[in-house]
Amino acid sequence: MNRVRNFLLATTLLMSTSASADIAVVVNANSGIDHLTRSDAVNIFMGRYRKLPTGNLALPVDSSTLKARFYRALVNKDLAEINSYWARLVFSGEASPPQQIASSDDVHQLVTQNMNALSYVDSSQVPDDMHVVLTLGE
Amino acid sequence: MSRLLLLLHTRLALRTTAIILLIVTLLGVVFLALAVYLRAESVQRDQQARIQELLTTVERTAQIGCFLGDHHLAQEVADGLLSNNIVNAVSIDAEDGTTLASGRADREGESASSVVRDVASPFEPETSVCRITVEPNQAYIDKLVAQASNFIGGALLLQLVGIGLCVVLVVVKFVTRPITGLSHRLSELEAETGQQLQAPKGNRDDEIGQLVISVNAMIDNLVQSLGEERRLRLEREVEERRYRAIFDNVEAGIFELDGAGFIRSANPAFRRLFDMPGEKDLECHPVAFTSLLSDGEGTAPSFVIDDDASEHERQWEVALADGGQQRWISLILSPLETGRLQGVAHDVTERKRAADAAEQMAMTDPLTGLGNRRGFDHRLAVMARHHRLYPERCHALITLDFDHFKRINDTYGHQVGDRALSHVGAILADLVRQRDYVARLGGDEFVVLLEGCNQRDDVEPILTRFLERLRAPLKVDGSVEVAIGVSIGVAMLGLDSDDPQQAVQFSDMAMYAAKRAGRNTWRFYEPVNAT
Repeated sequence: MNRVRNFLLATTLLMSTSASADIAVVVNANSGIDHLTRSDAVNIFMGRYRKLPTGNLALPVDSSTLKARFYRALVNKDLAEINSYWARLVFSGEASPPQQIASSDDVHQLVTQNMNALSYVDSSQVPDDMHVVLTLGE
Repeated sequence: MSRLLLLLHTRLALRTTAIILLIVTLLGVVFLALAVYLRAESVQRDQQARIQELLTTVERTAQIGCFLGDHHLAQEVADGLLSNNIVNAVSIDAEDGTTLASGRADREGESASSVVRDVASPFEPETSVCRITVEPNQAYIDKLVAQASNFIGGALLLQLVGIGLCVVLVVVKFVTRPITGLSHRLSELEAETGQQLQAPKGNRDDEIGQLVISVNAMIDNLVQSLGEERRLRLEREVEERRYRAIFDNVEAGIFELDGAGFIRSANPAFRRLFDMPGEKDLECHPVAFTSLLSDGEGTAPSFVIDDDASEHERQWEVALADGGQQRWISLILSPLETGRLQGVAHDVTERKRAADAAEQMAMTDPLTGLGNRRGFDHRLAVMARHHRLYPERCHALITLDFDHFKRINDTYGHQVGDRALSHVGAILADLVRQRDYVARLGGDEFVVLLEGCNQRDDVEPILTRFLERLRAPLKVDGSVEVAIGVSIGVAMLGLDSDDPQQAVQFSDMAMYAAKRAGRNTWRFYEPVNAT
């Protein structure tokens, strides 16, 4: 019964994942950041701002599984464009791309452990220990 | 310079070319200015567009550089832009006013209006992240414009020279050559022989052909009128010679008068008639015609010529006193034209004298040399006219008749009778004044007309003297003495009668009264006698 319930739940989640639209930008629940604008998110993830509104050094984290959807939702660009963007900046060294993390668990761990970490999850699967600062509609 | 002006003045082709070149040059300058202006505009536009293209090329990189505030990247972009020779200076300024990158090419020249491009954030197109200001290189643009202008100018100049050459060639070939040829041929043409001008080949049907046709027509006209003129001149010369011969050699005087009555010309005969020196120049010293006449009779006819009166021929006979001898000249004046008269003068003295003599003879009694009946009638008519004009003046009419004249004839013969008649006539002619008139009417009857005798008392002394002189007997052949008695009757015209014929009658009656009174005496007409 439980297994059935879990399966159903999982299926529902999966379905909701595939069908769900939104991506939530999340931070450590204790980061002190209540809310970010879309601009703030762009500036931080695209390397323009190095600091959070709290004044701490920002640590943006790319979640590989959601990366394509996230950038499509945030700046309406595909990954090739984003990669090309960062490629240009390799030589100047002025800015560096967000840290790349493959599994969502690692992302979850990093965000919950680091006060300055900043990443994104599917808005339907936001863990309780993360704080949503911005929801990006797809 | 003056040589060039002279050339322009004398060469049609040059003048035409100069004018066309001038016009083309002016138009060319206008077009050139317009073309340069338009070209400059278009070059300016082109360069602006090029700069825009350059900006578009580097925009993405610039977006990133600006977005990140990356000085290196921005500088890379600025240097890239500056590497184009149309860019003079580049400045990339962030939104907050800080300059991310700038650069200036080491080029001379003033700056043109800058091209400004706002660069949006690569991720948020509505958000501007920086502004790129590009200053175009005006010197380079000017150079491009100058190049284009030089090309256009050169092309125009080439075209101008080409047009000039073409115009010169065309004008020389199609206008100047034919005209010059025509002019040469015209100058060598012997027009008076009727030679015609030939049109140049290829110009027969155009305007030059027309000109040739017109010239030929004019030559025809000229030749024709020249011939006519020559013929008329010859004719006139003959006429002139003929007239001159007549004018010079004719016996009649021929002369011309102008409107003021001055003699304009006169032939030798006229000069002879009026004693004018032959060499006198009438053109320089005009002689008034009246002055020639006035030294004659004193009353010269007036020669004031008015056009109306001088339309017809007029004739006079005038008397000239020529050294005491009177001469008669007949003048005929006929108008030649307005203000000119031609006159012919004849010496009619001989004819006049002959006529006068004949008339004299017709009115003269051959025996006594006194008037005859005809002369008396004539004189009486004159007196009658005179009396009608001046009735207050009286005249005496005396009739004389010999007493017993038949007896003298019978006694001494007709010759002595004739002598007696002559004797009495001589006494009468001697007694009366010049203006009185004595006539023998026929036989032994005499008549005396005393002019201006206002009363009988004036007559009586004459009669007394007459009878006194008659009392002396007439001696014939030395020995024979003939006594003559005369009866005299007197009538006064104006006192006794106003009619001359009646006065003659009255004097006749008075004469018979004298005969009745015993002869050799006189009687005045008495009306009572008549009754």
